[in-house]
Amino acid sequence: MTNIELNKDVSFQDWQANFEQWAEEAPEGALKRYYQAGMIKSTTPLKDTPLLALDLETTGLDPKTDEIISLGLIPMTHNAIRCQGARYWMAKPKRDLHAESVTIHEITHAELAEAPRLDSILDEILDALIQQVVVVHCVSIERQFLLEASLKRYGYPLYFPVLDTMDIERQVQHKPWWKRFGKPTSLRLDACRQRYHLPRYKAHHALTDALSSAELLQAQIAYHMNLEADISDYWL
Amino acid sequence: MDVELTEILEAICQHAPFNDIAEEALLSEMTKEIEIQYVRAGEWVISPGTLNNTLFFIRSGAIEALSRKDKLIRRMNEGELFGYASLLRGGKSSQSMRAIEDSLLYRIPARWFLKLYEENDTFSDFFELAREVRLRLAMDSQSSDVSLMTCPVMSLLRRQPVSTTADSDILTAAQIMTDKRVSSLLITEQDELIGIVTDRDLRTRALAKGLPFDTPISDIMTPDPIVMDSRDYASEAVLKMMERNVHHLPVIKDNRPIGVVSTGDIVQKESHGSVYLISDIFKQSNIEGLQAISRKMTHTFTQLVVADANTQMIGNAMSHIGTAFVKRLLQLAEDQFGKAPVPYCFVALGSQAREEQIIKTDQDNALILSDKYDESLHGEYFEKLSEWVCQNLDKCGYDLCSGDIMASNPRWRQPISVWKQYFTDWIREPKAEALLRLSIFFDLRGIYGDKTLATKLNRHIRAEAKAHSGFLTFMARNANQRKPPLGFFRQFVLDGEGKQSRTFNLKERGIAPIIDIVRVHALAIGSDKLNTLERLEDIEAEGLLPDGRAKDLALALEMIGMVRIRHQKDQIDAGETPNNHVNPANLSSFEKRHLRDAFDIVSRQQEFIKFRYAGKRS
Repeated sequence: MTNIELNKDVSFQDWQANFEQWAEEAPEGALKRYYQAGMIKSTTPLKDTPLLALDLETTGLDPKTDEIISLGLIPMTHNAIRCQGARYWMAKPKRDLHAESVTIHEITHAELAEAPRLDSILDEILDALIQQVVVVHCVSIERQFLLEASLKRYGYPLYFPVLDTMDIERQVQHKPWWKRFGKPTSLRLDACRQRYHLPRYKAHHALTDALSSAELLQAQIAYHMNLEADISDYWL
Repeated sequence: MDVELTEILEAICQHAPFNDIAEEALLSEMTKEIEIQYVRAGEWVISPGTLNNTLFFIRSGAIEALSRKDKLIRRMNEGELFGYASLLRGGKSSQSMRAIEDSLLYRIPARWFLKLYEENDTFSDFFELAREVRLRLAMDSQSSDVSLMTCPVMSLLRRQPVSTTADSDILTAAQIMTDKRVSSLLITEQDELIGIVTDRDLRTRALAKGLPFDTPISDIMTPDPIVMDSRDYASEAVLKMMERNVHHLPVIKDNRPIGVVSTGDIVQKESHGSVYLISDIFKQSNIEGLQAISRKMTHTFTQLVVADANTQMIGNAMSHIGTAFVKRLLQLAEDQFGKAPVPYCFVALGSQAREEQIIKTDQDNALILSDKYDESLHGEYFEKLSEWVCQNLDKCGYDLCSGDIMASNPRWRQPISVWKQYFTDWIREPKAEALLRLSIFFDLRGIYGDKTLATKLNRHIRAEAKAHSGFLTFMARNANQRKPPLGFFRQFVLDGEGKQSRTFNLKERGIAPIIDIVRVHALAIGSDKLNTLERLEDIEAEGLLPDGRAKDLALALEMIGMVRIRHQKDQIDAGETPNNHVNPANLSSFEKRHLRDAFDIVSRQQEFIKFRYAGKRS
């Protein structure tokens, strides 16, 4: 097993301590509750870490102007993804959907027209995130969009610890420059899954993609990660 | 918002048995309780000897099932299910499962499996079928090379048939056999088979009798020999050889012989299992050899249980083995004491006659003699013969019968006319207590010697029993003597005596009552079958029972029988002597529920025969 070492400097060192501080500062409401519930110790072994795979679909790629239109969650551990805990929300955007993103997401205008606004479901989503380490493929998108949503709704930022399957894969696949040749290794979710012989899914449904990254993380754990290692070795 | 895991539901619905279940809403509910697990190639999914409480669905990848001894039993791929055998049994997995490729598994909780199994016929049929396939595969994995279960008899042929015509003389025939190095010669007429001659025939029928060399071969051949069709399975050839006690079977295709299979060909293919055991029995020339084989029987039994053979298959195999011991002992006895002075038939009684023997049981047997029998002339011969066979059966693990129902007892070694009189008396003037002891005589099968004697006696029994309803009333009353161990609130009633105080006797209180009930019905309709399931088929065809009741009884018998053989296998594994005393605390909730249902069926059917054969009140 090749255990990867993550570069810790990009990350918050102690999520538990940070949560305590944010719990003081956050305004009353769901976000404060979320921080007050606290975070697991950074010395928690990977095998005991409560994980929650998350994916969201948006109207576009710019967190400032685009909006979240659906969000899927599925709880997991290193050896069990629990369908029973799966959650899925659709949110009606303030602006009209671009025609092209409609085709990507397979969500229709009619479906979205009946969905609630993100503001009114964000409390529920935060409750689901309590004490969980979030699993995503490509951390920047999810983190930035949820940060924007939180600032809009609560006037205070939402931060949460993440295991990023894309970042893990990047490090696993990393080769020194003199060994690189040909096409660079793809880090797309589907390409990563194929390396672990995982089946192909239809992409771009928030819950299916959450499931996809959950399965990918299980495979990465099985091949490259140490179940006994502190979660702080891996989280971002 | 309704959470629909379409990827999972769609994957499951593509494969049997889920694709046949019409209720999508139900499957969607089930999907929500699935857990997903990724397993790297080489890792265990179910480690050896662990408990399993999950039905596994292979979403992608491949899994192999290994036996306790690490032998490969089968490989499973995408869309296949495993883990159900231990769920049905409710306990430890007898096989261990390992990923041979990176695999993604869906874990379906046991309660969903059991729910669908109980409520959905398509679903349960699928697993019944799977069990048969698995059994065949398990049998395959036991045999060294090719399995007799699946290999056609044709594949055993290794050369063109060697034949000659009926007008050849025996010297020419012997020369052909020597030249071609064969132990049998086919006799043909215009390419069609009319007879066979073996080495032994040349020795016993020609040389020993001093026949002249120019005797036509047709004088000593076996005309119209027993043959196999080229499409038959090798296992059928084995059964035929055992049944008819022949060592060569010509194989026929389109009316022409295409070769001969010999016992040697078969034994070469099969190095394990009951078939091998049986051919081995016939090779022994002394008691010590037979005793050595009898010690392997528990192993054969446990092998069959592990392979998930059902009770019918196991009963059949164990009875054939038992019969083989009797036949071989009688052959040895005849070698020792000489040929029988008058025809006789050695008959098996009870479970062996019904072909429902489990592991070793007491011997129950008898001897029917031809009416040419004269005690002053022949008495001594048959006394010696029977005594010798029964004592040696005891040495081979078939204990002497405590009720002395054995051929060695002069009362049960009688000419057929006396036997007929016995039955006439029992049937016309039945006495309840006596009949209780004698009921096993109504399961009577000729296994060696002149079997027409047994056939004639059985015909007599059927005619008498059918004509005397008073007798059936007594038999029905006796079938009600032993009640299933169920209390008023469906709790198990324990036997509560001594060492067995926490247990109940499955044979006495479950299996025997069913056999008794079925025997009464079989006698009432004059069925010539002995096996309980075969009798039930006749009873169903006759329309004697309301629709579905015959099937209920068959299921109850299988369920109780299955619990019994698993219990006995566990005892053998633990180094104990197997018995019928089961402690309900050791049963899974699944087994308990089904046992209760089975016992309920028995109780109701006992009530039924009480009224059906009520008879006249005096």
